[in-house]
Amino acid sequence: MNFTTTKPPVKYNQQRSLKRALNLNIALIVLAIASVILRALTPLAEDAAMTNLDIAFKAFLMMAVGVIVSVMVEVFYAISEGTIQKFEVYKRWIDPINTGLLIALLLPSTTPIYALVISVIVGVYAGKLVFGGYGYYIFNPVLVAVLFAHLTFGGQMDITGTPLLLMKEAVFGSSVELSLQSLLIGNYTAVAIGSTSVLLLFAVFVYLCVTKVIDLRISITYLLTIFLVSLGIGFINFTTQGMLIYTLVNMITGLTMFGAVFLVSESVSSPTSRETKIAYAVIVGILVMLIRVLSAEPEGVVFAILFGNLLTPFMNRTVKRSQTKGLIKTVVISIVAIVIVSGAIGFIVQSRIIENLNETAALFGGIL
Amino acid sequence: MITENKTYLDPRKVYLPITDEDARVASLQVAEEDEVKVGQIIAKKYRGKEAIPVIATVSGKVLGVEQRIDRFGKVIDHVIIENDRKNTLEAFDTFDGEVPTQIIRNQLLRLGIHQVSLDGLYTDIRFDQPIEHLMVDAIYTNEPFISLDYDCIVKEAEEITDGILLLAKACKAKTVTLLVDKFMNQEALDEIGKAISDTIIELEVINSKKMNGVDYKIARKLINRRPSINLLDDGIMFTTVFVARSAYQVIRQGLPLTTRKVALTGDAFVTNALYDVRIGTLFEYLVEDLGGYTDEEALSCHIGNFLSGNQVESDAFSIAAHIDSIDVSRYRDVEEDVCIKCGDCNDICPTDILPQNIMDAELRSVNERIVELHTDDCIECGLCTYVCPSKINVLEWVRRAKRRVG
Ligand code: SF4
Ligand code: SF4
Repeated sequence: MNFTTTKPPVKYNQQRSLKRALNLNIALIVLAIASVILRALTPLAEDAAMTNLDIAFKAFLMMAVGVIVSVMVEVFYAISEGTIQKFEVYKRWIDPINTGLLIALLLPSTTPIYALVISVIVGVYAGKLVFGGYGYYIFNPVLVAVLFAHLTFGGQMDITGTPLLLMKEAVFGSSVELSLQSLLIGNYTAVAIGSTSVLLLFAVFVYLCVTKVIDLRISITYLLTIFLVSLGIGFINFTTQGMLIYTLVNMITGLTMFGAVFLVSESVSSPTSRETKIAYAVIVGILVMLIRVLSAEPEGVVFAILFGNLLTPFMNRTVKRSQTKGLIKTVVISIVAIVIVSGAIGFIVQSRIIENLNETAALFGGIL
Repeated sequence: MITENKTYLDPRKVYLPITDEDARVASLQVAEEDEVKVGQIIAKKYRGKEAIPVIATVSGKVLGVEQRIDRFGKVIDHVIIENDRKNTLEAFDTFDGEVPTQIIRNQLLRLGIHQVSLDGLYTDIRFDQPIEHLMVDAIYTNEPFISLDYDCIVKEAEEITDGILLLAKACKAKTVTLLVDKFMNQEALDEIGKAISDTIIELEVINSKKMNGVDYKIARKLINRRPSINLLDDGIMFTTVFVARSAYQVIRQGLPLTTRKVALTGDAFVTNALYDVRIGTLFEYLVEDLGGYTDEEALSCHIGNFLSGNQVESDAFSIAAHIDSIDVSRYRDVEEDVCIKCGDCNDICPTDILPQNIMDAELRSVNERIVELHTDDCIECGLCTYVCPSKINVLEWVRRAKRRVG
């Protein structure tokens, strides 16, 4: 009897990349449906140009277009490369679908469709295919597309009145009215269609953690960093209650949670070892807060994570081993960095608003 | 799943390899047509200056020497003995009570306990380096979610314990650790617990469903630093309860090691069984006894630990003392996906090195980086490949990297 030989092992564990991509796909679809519904329910200003249904339909349209364009770009590229036969297997379709959906979810509902199409093409082609496709890219193609959209079509997709922007104004003394309930279920003007209910995102987060799509260490560290930094800024600038509200808004609105679920721990563009994962998450978290507080942009997650992606190859190529000593060192340095940064930002902000300190704190009283 | 216990103790002929991976030179001690007894020395193999006896496992007539493949697929000399089925035993001394270290060592070597457990981290039974710690594995695993044989432990807890203590005496170990399974049945646990109370043997309970290189971690805890690929170099002897039981038989009963347990698993067999088999039996005989293969096409045969064992091209090998399990399954071609950089392989590695990064460095052919990543420390446990969701053979990449930097 002759045998065919392979290399061991003869068995693998239950984890499969395909399964992870599929789980991500399921999560995204659930989220997409929820965001369409939410857009339909969000109250609009009296003079709004579009009705709720219009916006909901627009959101749906954007996602459909995002997916179709993303898949088409990949298929055409494969045809031009003569590798179209790889699309015969079903699993090849999942990643393009995920990319398309994510891009659409990350853009505001005011985005013109042509802007979406161009952004998806740029993201998928320049962000993914040029590097060799899934598994080889350095920058998360989704973020490349979103960044491109913001830089090129920023004017057409202006967003006003998101909670984070209101917060920025609040520190200058204007009044803010937000209700905790609306914030939790996502009933407010959002920077992107996908920035929906934080409760739903949290459920998705748990699901993806259980199915191991998300690396818990990255996401939790990232959330924790944002939490601590905003707590620090709030501590320096507001009374206790103001501090809590400031932190809360930073945590549950904007793309904070969306980033934690879908963007920071996207495996291909994040580092591969324990220490670097933590360092990466801390850097991204700090950058998010820096951009939110100091720049004119409404949201910092996209830029911050792209910057983190930029550092990833560097981190991957400098780390030598994962030792307990290294882990402790990373954690200690991270904590020190967080404290210093939150202090620094806190005081920078304070010099601008010192006279408004008391009033601001009073204004926030309305939320809880 | 193992469903049966079987025996195959009287093959027509036995084929005994007279050299091995470490001892490549041997001198024959018998001639053709000689009558031999069970336990008689038929050859001596040399590792350096040390002569290791190879003993007959049946009594009968020596038919000659033949070149055959062994479990690693290497062609080596085998002595063939025709079994006269009389089982005439050469007389060996037995010892009671306290036995001096040197006598235990001599007896173990003389009666065939030398290289009995080979897979994974198990070490040979040899005493040329100082040993401080003895680890004995009571977990019988060949696949995850697992085939376990605890009957032997229940029945022979006393003997096993005595064997462990004899081994400890032989290597002058300061600590003795017995690794047992968390999912072991209560009866076995009770028996073993009763037997080892009042001895220096410490229990270490392991979750055998988690594949995470726990034996390596225990060894690491014992010596407080990272052990090397050969635990003997670190003063640790790591072996199985099977060896302990055999040591008991050698010293207390004067019985040489002539049989062993082999698990035959895999979907190419009608049933899977745990065999008590005469060492030197051809694998073909066992297959025949088990009812042959269900399928004649595209099978693969894996010997030893499912993570780090090896595969052979033909079933013409004979059961050597160090074969504890054989899996014959339908050949599955696993399709590799791209690395999604999830880092699972980096997390699982018991030696704390970063296989994904090593793979990356190997792909880019940067020798310096490979050295810097401590590629040398890899103990080839195969866990990185096991956990990879893309089913990439990460260990092969690490091996390639190792070879590149020499
Ligand atoms: S690199 Fe892989 S085979 Fe080597 S020690 Fe680490 S996990 Fe085991
Ligand atoms: S486990 Fe596999 S897919 Fe994950 S980083 Fe390691 S090699 Fe890549």
